[in-house]
Amino acid sequence: MSDKEKAFPTLTRRGLLKGGAAVAGGIVGLGGFPYINRLAVRAQETPLKFWQFYAPGGPVASQVEWFEKTVADWNDSHPQKIELEFIPNSEYISGPKLATAFASGEGPDIFIISPGDFLRYYNGGVLKDLTPFIDEAAKADFPESVIANRMVDGKIFGIPMEVEPMAMYYSVKAFEEAGLNENDVPKTWEALLEVAKKLTTPERFGVMFETQPGYYQNFTWYPFLWQGGGEFQTPEGKSSFDSPATVQALKFWQDAINSGAAPRQIMGAGGHDTIANLASGYVAMQNVGIWGISQLQSNAKDFQYGVFRLPTPSNGKYVTVGGGWAFVANAKGRNSDAAGEFCAWALASMDQGSVDRVATWCTKGKSDMPPRNSALKAGGGAFSTGMIGKFAEEIHPGTRAEPRVPPEVYKIISDAIQQTQLGGADPQATATSASQQLDAFLSSYQGAPIL
Amino acid sequence: MTTIAETAARRRHAGRTRLSAKHREWIAGYLFVLPDALGLLVFLGVPMALSLVLSVFEVNGFGGYSFVGAKNYLRMWNDPLFWKGARVTALYAIMLVPLLYVCGLGLALLVQRTDRFNAVMRSMFFAPHMVSLVVVALVWQFMVVDKIGVISRLTAALDIGGFSFLGDPNFALITIVLVSVWFLMGFYMLIFLGGLQDIPRQYYEAAMIDGAGAIARFWFITLPLLKPTSFFVVMVSMVAAVAGAQAFDIIYVMTKGGPANATSVLIVYIYQQAFGFGAFGYAAAMASILVVALMLVTAVFFALTRGGRFNHEQ
Repeated sequence: MSDKEKAFPTLTRRGLLKGGAAVAGGIVGLGGFPYINRLAVRAQETPLKFWQFYAPGGPVASQVEWFEKTVADWNDSHPQKIELEFIPNSEYISGPKLATAFASGEGPDIFIISPGDFLRYYNGGVLKDLTPFIDEAAKADFPESVIANRMVDGKIFGIPMEVEPMAMYYSVKAFEEAGLNENDVPKTWEALLEVAKKLTTPERFGVMFETQPGYYQNFTWYPFLWQGGGEFQTPEGKSSFDSPATVQALKFWQDAINSGAAPRQIMGAGGHDTIANLASGYVAMQNVGIWGISQLQSNAKDFQYGVFRLPTPSNGKYVTVGGGWAFVANAKGRNSDAAGEFCAWALASMDQGSVDRVATWCTKGKSDMPPRNSALKAGGGAFSTGMIGKFAEEIHPGTRAEPRVPPEVYKIISDAIQQTQLGGADPQATATSASQQLDAFLSSYQGAPIL
Repeated sequence: MTTIAETAARRRHAGRTRLSAKHREWIAGYLFVLPDALGLLVFLGVPMALSLVLSVFEVNGFGGYSFVGAKNYLRMWNDPLFWKGARVTALYAIMLVPLLYVCGLGLALLVQRTDRFNAVMRSMFFAPHMVSLVVVALVWQFMVVDKIGVISRLTAALDIGGFSFLGDPNFALITIVLVSVWFLMGFYMLIFLGGLQDIPRQYYEAAMIDGAGAIARFWFITLPLLKPTSFFVVMVSMVAAVAGAQAFDIIYVMTKGGPANATSVLIVYIYQQAFGFGAFGYAAAMASILVVALMLVTAVFFALTRGGRFNHEQ
């Protein structure tokens, strides 16, 4: 924060209330008025707010149950209580709820963020350093690839609750109707488009990639960039977006649309919604993450599907992207120490309860890969059978963490994807133009490293 | 004998009568307007002034801010997405306003007779306006979805398909305009109905005696006498289109500004910068320019049409 910013502190509602309370306390306290003391005690007893989009009242019972139990267990054993506050997904992920709350100084005490939003909150100075609450053994329990994009200067600012690798899901019925079976599962991009064409009918698309602009679309496109050896920046912090790998990844998604095998418009909540797209029969194959398993188990029990790892270009190697949400504490919250302690207690303690909590979330609450080695062990057989087993054995080993980028970088990449995928722009010209924009931004960027 | 109290009352009464009828009307008029004026000042004037102040600061959305002068305005000048947003907004307004005018007036002419059938038709045409915009957007999104949407199937059956209503940059904005017209035309139909009922019947009777046909009656009586209503409709719909009042909800639900920013009207881009990227100062600068542009458009239109007043010398 600059000196200028310090010189003009923001007047927030909370600040105003605190100031007002202090003045009132100063005036009335002189007379030893007991009411003020009661107010102060009551303020300490006010539960910390935990914002997320799972509970209470969320759409998936097992997830609601997990969150409620976690908070109840904490409240049973700690004086500082915590209260869950459910924010609908559409309001949370790219909506105004968090942004307006922090802008008005009323941000939640505890909340969850994805790597895509990490830098915005870290650079805004609202993420609490959680390192003092995590012991070394627990820190070592998180693989480097999972925790790195939640760390700055060796300190942990977010504790991951899950790892969500991307894959391809397919409808068994659609495959059978097209005379295909699991032996026809494509392994290359070319094969994927060929199979997709065979699966395309007047009422169904063969394959689906996200089409709506947003963080999620970028997230789902990164593996295709990486598979050909592409990156958006060099280790020195300059743009490397103008590369053959970028051009072929942009062109691949464009070809899928131009061939008529992929839709320009998706159904339901978005590209992450397997029920509205794959299970409904709108598409035969869908690019989606591990959470699709629990979606289909909960809401389309009879739907027969298969999963295979992302195909690769002929000149590339297999890699997928792993997203996932993390618990973070508001450094400017009412009791940030307790909030930080809660995050570590819930997900990053060597206590068996903490390990089991992570394992339970990934096996029963939601279908995910655990972010901790001990939780993988604690999950036992759950990670070696069925679809989760397939993810654990075939798909997850090639996972690379979701990049953390500031909004400006996200927007440049998003526009490049949109312009080529749906706007018909030339991939090479688009990559060159986006690269110039990236260089212009990166040369003046100040903040935590972009990873 | 006159008491002191009676004298005082007479004086007070005399004082009241010193106000002319014109002044009393003037005071009453302003008193009627006062609550709304206060509301506008508090909920519109003050935020607009604060937004103007915010536009010369860099605000990160987490309590940090610093004075940057005209930097946000310079950024806007060099931002291709701002200009793209301005172009899309202009296109949206250019398509929406005439279509709304024609559809609103057409519907009003169709159902202006006061019988039971027309009452039902009026309710039907107005009904979309009663539905939440988010619901409207979701329903239309489903109806035009590629391959399986009702309208997509219909266009395919008529052999005019093969395109994506919301996924193709060439059609997405047109689709948004048509959905906006569908939602708004019932409201403007009501405004036009009010205007049509103000036109004296005698004019039409005289014209018919003179042998004027339906087109001549519309052209020489209806249209000229609807001038104040037309002014109101064009003005309000233009301001709504440029400000993106209805467009925002529809676009945010149906396309999120895509594909390839084809439906990213300025208000969507401003929202994205403020709440998506936390660039509140930059968003405030764009909003300020939008307000100025709206004021200019309004002033020019007002001057060109004399505020919809009749020219009595003609």
